[in-house]
Amino acid sequence: MKKTSGAIDLALIAVFAAFVAACAMISIPMPFGVPITLQTLGVLLTGLVLGPWRGFLSVVLYLLVGFAGLPVFAGGTGGLGVLSGMSVGYLLAFPFASLAAGALAIWFVRAGFKVRYAWLTVAAAVGSFAVIDLAGIFGMMVVGQTDFVTAFGYNLPFVLGDAVKVFAASAIAVAVNKAFPVLLAARKPAAA
Amino acid sequence: MIEFRGVAVSVPVLRAGRLAESKTLLAGVDLRLGERRVAVVGANGSGKSTLLRLVNGLVEPTSGSVVVNGLDSVADGRKVRSEVGFIFTDPLSQLLMGTARDDVELSLRGIVPDKAERRRQATELLAARGLDGVADQSVYDLSGGERQLVALTSVLACRPQVVVADEPTTLLDLRNRNLVAEALWGLEQQVLVATHDLELAARADRVLVVDAGRVVADAAADEAVEHYRRMMS
Amino acid sequence: MNGLFSLYAPGDSVFHRLPVGWKYLIMFAATFVGLLLRNPWVSLGVLAAVTLALTACGVGLRHALGLPPAVWLTAGFLLAYQIAVGAWATGVVVACNLVGALYASRILTATTPGPVLVDALVAAARPLRFVGADPERIGLAVMLMARSLPMMWDAFGQVRDAARARGRERNYFALVAPVVVRAVGYAQATGEALMARGLGERRSR
Repeated sequence: MKKTSGAIDLALIAVFAAFVAACAMISIPMPFGVPITLQTLGVLLTGLVLGPWRGFLSVVLYLLVGFAGLPVFAGGTGGLGVLSGMSVGYLLAFPFASLAAGALAIWFVRAGFKVRYAWLTVAAAVGSFAVIDLAGIFGMMVVGQTDFVTAFGYNLPFVLGDAVKVFAASAIAVAVNKAFPVLLAARKPAAA
Repeated sequence: MIEFRGVAVSVPVLRAGRLAESKTLLAGVDLRLGERRVAVVGANGSGKSTLLRLVNGLVEPTSGSVVVNGLDSVADGRKVRSEVGFIFTDPLSQLLMGTARDDVELSLRGIVPDKAERRRQATELLAARGLDGVADQSVYDLSGGERQLVALTSVLACRPQVVVADEPTTLLDLRNRNLVAEALWGLEQQVLVATHDLELAARADRVLVVDAGRVVADAAADEAVEHYRRMMS
Repeated sequence: MNGLFSLYAPGDSVFHRLPVGWKYLIMFAATFVGLLLRNPWVSLGVLAAVTLALTACGVGLRHALGLPPAVWLTAGFLLAYQIAVGAWATGVVVACNLVGALYASRILTATTPGPVLVDALVAAARPLRFVGADPERIGLAVMLMARSLPMMWDAFGQVRDAARARGRERNYFALVAPVVVRAVGYAQATGEALMARGLGERRSR
């Protein structure tokens, strides 16, 4: 397969930044009262579908546009105000989560691992728990001036929703990769 | 000058989930197009879109090469794309911004650094095509003909040396078809148009007839159009 | 750039007329002074200043100072927690910074139209030339992103309507896959439209 063109890369990065923003605006009521948004789902999917670098740049673009004041963050806010909020760690971790999930996904796919769904779930889980949640806890320690255990406790109610999103992200990524198989395997020689 | 040197294009075909064989879209194309107005006619799926898309690298040749004004469409793809403007059948898939003025301004970025000057030039270019009245309307509220003229204005704002149009009048009614035809054939650049519209083709300096991935006729307008009519009947 | 999402409220206050660069400066200063100094009096002062400034924007008290209940709850909880562990000063810093930074951002977002924000970000990308980035492409990406926002939002709406028509609106995750497929398709069409004009290419090395 040929390398995708610079213009198409640019368009993918821009459109998926907008996709993450749309995901952040969708809020799902949860049984325990804390509503979740599809924001982290959008971030993970951007990595899984676009691969690590385009995924990373796409989420960086999303954050930049939000910091510049367009209301693309969860709850329809924009600007630097989020930096002193409790969610700052999660937010700043997003590009790296997309990078990690995308890098692992590409690695698993190219290594020819079977049961693609399971491995994409692993990739998404690393992005969600090892990158986003950890950074989020650290962010709450700084913003709330509290210790790890307390901040860890703040994060707990979200873990269930995050797990659901991890499974959803990999299922959706498998479906999308069927429709556009070249994206993840952009630099892989065409299969015979 | 657009040159096709032994060009063939084929794409792999998915069968039962695996890449089975390849399908030939275009083969054995050797052409030197120096005329100012060239038309390509052929049935749906004949390969005329592929032929056009080769010219600015939207499609890359599987073998052979395409050379535009001395530049290879693959090796110098970036340069070729800046010299070849492409008009799609559906202008909505071409317009990148919400209004005509914003869209033309987008094309002028990189050419005109000053923002106010860019705006002035965009307004001027739209007015020259009689589009000043709709410059700030949403592109979704424009008629098909207006949209295609906006697309043409936006592409021309990039100052291409060659304009390629893929069935630019197919989605338009008769009046708008004439408007767009006038605009295209009136350009001073070299223009390459694929079309089903034989009246449009008849006004070209040279007409290519494409069938089943091959150029089957290549002649002056009258002769080629006549050939195509016989072929279709 | 019609249909761009924005928090802008029209008006003719001092802040509406202030050049956007100054408003960014105010937002930066008000956000980071509190975060970096960690002094209760400074944080209180910043909060008081931005609150006053916001009410002077003339966009209506509700639009100016209203915040979702969750924000007040979080601020109150953080304050109470720090007081409980005997660190009232930290509590004041944390709570004031939280609300103050949101208000500081709102001075910008409530008085500046969306396209102006986009233009400012495009302009801000220009100096990145010196670190090897291509400001033209960054600027183009910002504009395309802003343009794609309403599209993506609509895509969710259309897919939801389609799901509803089949009586399957409750599964939110089932909505996302078709939206992603559309996003890729839309991006590829957009990329081709850029190529048709020779825009968005990588700079030659």
